[in-house]
Amino acid sequence: MRYKILTVDDSKTVRIIVKKAFKSFDCDILEASNGVEGLAIASKESPDVCLLDITMPVMDGVEMLTKLKSDPLLKSIPVVMLTAEGGREHVLKIAKIGVRDYIVKPFKEELLVEKVMRIVDLKPVSEANQKSKTIFDPAEILVVEDKPAIVQQIQDGLRQTPWRVHGVSTTGEAIDFCSRTIPDLVMASLSLPEDGGFTLFRMLRTNIKTKFTPVFALVVKTETAVQQQALQVGFSAIITKPIDFPELETRMAKAMNLDTSLRYFGIEESTLILRLPEHTAAVTVNEVTGYMKGKVSGAVDNGVSRAVIDISKLKNLDMTVIKLLFSFMQTCSEVAVQYVLVGNPVVAKECKGFEDTKNWSFFDSVDQAKASFKGSPAPVAQPAAAS
Amino acid sequence: MPSAPPIPDTVLRGLLNKAMADVLITMLSMDSKLTWVSDDHPEADPPPLSSNAPQVVGAVGFIGEVNGLIYLHLEDAFARAVTCRLLGLEPADVEAEGDEVVNDAVGELTNMTVGGFKNALCDMGLPCKLTIPSILRGSNFTIEPVASALRHIYQFEVDGHRMTADLLMKYGD
Repeated sequence: MRYKILTVDDSKTVRIIVKKAFKSFDCDILEASNGVEGLAIASKESPDVCLLDITMPVMDGVEMLTKLKSDPLLKSIPVVMLTAEGGREHVLKIAKIGVRDYIVKPFKEELLVEKVMRIVDLKPVSEANQKSKTIFDPAEILVVEDKPAIVQQIQDGLRQTPWRVHGVSTTGEAIDFCSRTIPDLVMASLSLPEDGGFTLFRMLRTNIKTKFTPVFALVVKTETAVQQQALQVGFSAIITKPIDFPELETRMAKAMNLDTSLRYFGIEESTLILRLPEHTAAVTVNEVTGYMKGKVSGAVDNGVSRAVIDISKLKNLDMTVIKLLFSFMQTCSEVAVQYVLVGNPVVAKECKGFEDTKNWSFFDSVDQAKASFKGSPAPVAQPAAAS
Repeated sequence: MPSAPPIPDTVLRGLLNKAMADVLITMLSMDSKLTWVSDDHPEADPPPLSSNAPQVVGAVGFIGEVNGLIYLHLEDAFARAVTCRLLGLEPADVEAEGDEVVNDAVGELTNMTVGGFKNALCDMGLPCKLTIPSILRGSNFTIEPVASALRHIYQFEVDGHRMTADLLMKYGD
C-alpha cells in the first residue's frame, strides 16, 4: 500500500525538506501552502498522515486543525504538528484539539520519519518499484576512500555505466554527502584510519534514510580477517582490491536491485534476441538464467515466436556457457519458439570440439539470422542440438 | 496590553545564541560562534558582513506579552550556500530556481531561529506568537528602528562567514 502524506506549510523550503525526508519510502507527498488548500486536499485525497504548520497566511494551522477535527469524514486523519510555535502552554492547548504528535522546528529529518512511522507502516521503496529501475538509469554511488588513485580507478572502471561516482576521503565527508543526497550504493574502504569504514557503516545503518542502502566494503585481497569481520558486521558485499570491474558492476546492479535484463535480452522486429557479452563469467550466466524463463514467456505473450542467440562477442566457450545455451534452447522449444545462432569463427571452432555442440551452425550477423526466418518456414542454419 | 518588564541583556543573549545554535546544527550540521554583541560595544557598529556585497535579510516578529522583531542578515553568496545545504540541492539547481528559493530558505531559517527564541520566552511566562516571515534584499543599506525599541545586535561566525541577528524589543504600550 502506498501511503499519502500531506504537508501543509507556507514555506516551500519545509515542503521540500519533507519530500526529501520521505524520498526513499513508498509514499506520495501531497503539498498545500495554507489551511484552505490543506482542507481541500484532505477532502479529496484522504491522506494517511497530515503534517501541519501553525503560522500560515489565509488560514492558519490551528483553524485548519479545528475544522478537520470537526468534520466526520476527516477527523480520523492523524495530524502531526510541524511548527516553530512551541512553548509548553501552546503545545498543550493544541494537543487538546487532537493531534497525534508535535514536532517543534528545527527538526531532524530522521525524527520526522520516525514519528510518521509510528502512525503508518512506511516501507522503503518497494522491490517492485525498484525493479523498474534498469541498468541504464542513473544512480548515485558514493566511494569513501582516502587514496585518490583508487577513487579514480573506480570512476574509470564504471565510466561506461550511467552511474555518477562521487569520491570522498573521510567518514565525516561521507556523512555530509549523505545528508544532502541519499546514495543508491556506498563503497567504503576498510583501510580508513581508526576503523573509519566500520564507523561509517554503523552510522549509515542507524540513519533511517540510509538504513537500507547497500554498503560494499573495499578491502585488500589478502586481508582475510578484515573481510570476515566485515561480513559479520553485515556489509552487503566485499570487494577485494585489485578490483574486478565486470564483477563489481554486476554485483552493484544486483545490490541496487536494478533490472539488468536489457543488457542480455531484447526484442527486435518480433524476434527475441539473447546477447551474451564478451566475458560471460559465472555471475553473468546466473543472471541470464534468472531472467530467462520470464523473458521467453513474456516474448511469447507478445506474439514472438522466433529467437536469435547472439554469441558473436564471446571470446571463448566453456561448459557453463554451453549449459546456459542448452537451457535457453530447451526453454524456447517448450513454448514452440524457433531459434538460430549467431557466432564468430572462434566459438564455431570450439563448438566442433564438443560432442553436444559439434553440429551447431552459426550465422555471421543478427541481420542474417533474422532474415533467415523470413526466407523459409524452417531456419536454414538451425543448430543440430536444438532439433 | 503587554506590560512585561525589560528582559536582562544577558538573558536575551543566551536565548538567541541557543536558538541560533540549535537551528544551525539541526538543519545544516553547522556550528555557530557568537563573536560580537552590541551590548558590549554600545557606541560601535557591528563589523560589516562584507563590503557592499548583496545581502538577504529574513525578518520574523513575535507578538503577545512581549513584542519584538528579529532581522537575520546573510551575504547573498552564503545564503545560496545555506540553501543548497538545507534542501540538498546543487548550486546550479538553486541558481536555476532563482532568488525565490533562497528567500524562502532564509525566511524559514529566520522563522525557526525566532521560533526557538520566542518559545523560550513563552516558557518564561511571556506567551507570544510568531508573525509570517518577510525578506529584504539589497546592498549597502541600514535598518533604523523606532526610538521606542530596544536594539541588540549579535554577530555570529558560521562556517567562515558572518551572520548578524538584529533584535528589536518593544516593551510597554
